[in-house]
Amino acid sequence: MSSAGGADAIRLSPDDNVATVLRAVSAGERLRVRCAGNATEVEARDAIPLCHKVSLGPIEAGGAVVKYGQKIGEAIQPITTGRHVHVHNMRSARARVVP
Amino acid sequence: MARDDDSSGFLGYRRADGQVGVRNHLLVLSTGGLTGQTARRIGAMLAGAVVVVLPHSAGLIGRDRDVHRRAIAGLATHPNVGAVLLVGDNPVVMEQARTDIEPSRRPFAGFTLDDCGHDALTLTDRAVRAGARLMREISGLRRTPAPVAALGIGLECGRSDPSSGLVANPLLGLVADWLVDAGGRAVIGETLEWLGAEHLLAGRARSPEVADAIRGAVLERERIAIAAGLDLTGSNPGPTNIAAGLSSIEEKSLGNIAKSGHRPIEGLLGYGEKPPAPGLWTMDASAYAPKSLTGFVVAGAQMLLFTTGVGNPYVSALAPTIKLSANPATCAAFRDQLDFDASGAFLGHDSLDATGEALWRRVLAVASGEATWGEILREGDEVLSRFGPAL
Repeated sequence: MSSAGGADAIRLSPDDNVATVLRAVSAGERLRVRCAGNATEVEARDAIPLCHKVSLGPIEAGGAVVKYGQKIGEAIQPITTGRHVHVHNMRSARARVVP
Repeated sequence: MARDDDSSGFLGYRRADGQVGVRNHLLVLSTGGLTGQTARRIGAMLAGAVVVVLPHSAGLIGRDRDVHRRAIAGLATHPNVGAVLLVGDNPVVMEQARTDIEPSRRPFAGFTLDDCGHDALTLTDRAVRAGARLMREISGLRRTPAPVAALGIGLECGRSDPSSGLVANPLLGLVADWLVDAGGRAVIGETLEWLGAEHLLAGRARSPEVADAIRGAVLERERIAIAAGLDLTGSNPGPTNIAAGLSSIEEKSLGNIAKSGHRPIEGLLGYGEKPPAPGLWTMDASAYAPKSLTGFVVAGAQMLLFTTGVGNPYVSALAPTIKLSANPATCAAFRDQLDFDASGAFLGHDSLDATGEALWRRVLAVASGEATWGEILREGDEVLSRFGPAL
């Protein structure tokens, strides 16, 4: 089933390097990514559950993960295009406990 | 079923102090845990009474003692309370409550164990008789037309997922904007869930002092988390949020603050503090829904709007709480627990604006008396925050 006027994922701001998938997707699927009326495509390289994030371009280790046009954390390893972006490859940049 | 679709106002209960209630409750309020079960026994004998038990009393000091007094006064004179029956174990607390309630001219009766020979059954007997008279007195009150400007609404989210930040919380933002434009009061809390988005809230502050207060409140929560050695990832966002796709507190916060809409922020309220003027307000409070909602209620909010991603049953006892979700699976699973289904906007079938307007009509219908699922299923409770050590 396709969602949101034919889009499979939504990029909330043109500055974002991740999009939120509007349905569960499988690795290898081509996703239509909607952003303010425009649509682009990205190929999912992982299975991604409903509402989780997909990378729209490469993000280097330590690089900002951007959603809502704002930094939501940092990559803890290099992330290539089309990957599932979540707690396994990114982390919060706030309230960091220094050991 | 007849429904008031007039978007310019609602039908409410006008109180002697000028407030307008959306419900006409008899509140049975225990000022401490010692008389909690007595209060529940009394409430069970009075049809439709709402029972609230504040678990702590003697030994509270400092801020907790102030909040306890503020809570008794705020709950007893809440606009949705037609009359209040107070029970407790402490004559000093009861005398303070009397002093705080009297200016509102809200009908009330109060009994302590000391008044009743320390006999809980005597207390029950006397309180039930007084409560029955209060109930009959307020049953004669009728709803009359009231403007939207008389409404105060608390905005909450719980067990969020990314659909909360994409759709459900922005819907609350629309309602908040319309409420503020009409002269009402909107309040957001959950300070920890501004972390990572505090610059956006501070940017909308009415004055530099308010911006500083908002940033300061967030930094204080961050300091507490660091001092506790707590990694927020795993606690906030919690395991449920993470499973649903939220990866960091920043991501959760950016979705959370969408509830606040777009209007200027008038100020930062303390826990349970009443907004001194109309408009949009922030409240420095716990992100745990039961404590957050009671903070709004003590501050006088007559209604609450509460979004959820994966499902959350909690509602206030005194303020009708409209539960909503935009997650299609959640809406399908909780048809008789969620009051508003926003999944059409998530799926792209409905526009955000049209869905917001439908939610606004539901808000006014509930304000005029339509029951929420939480009221029908008796989910309601009130849980007061604690802050420091006690004696």
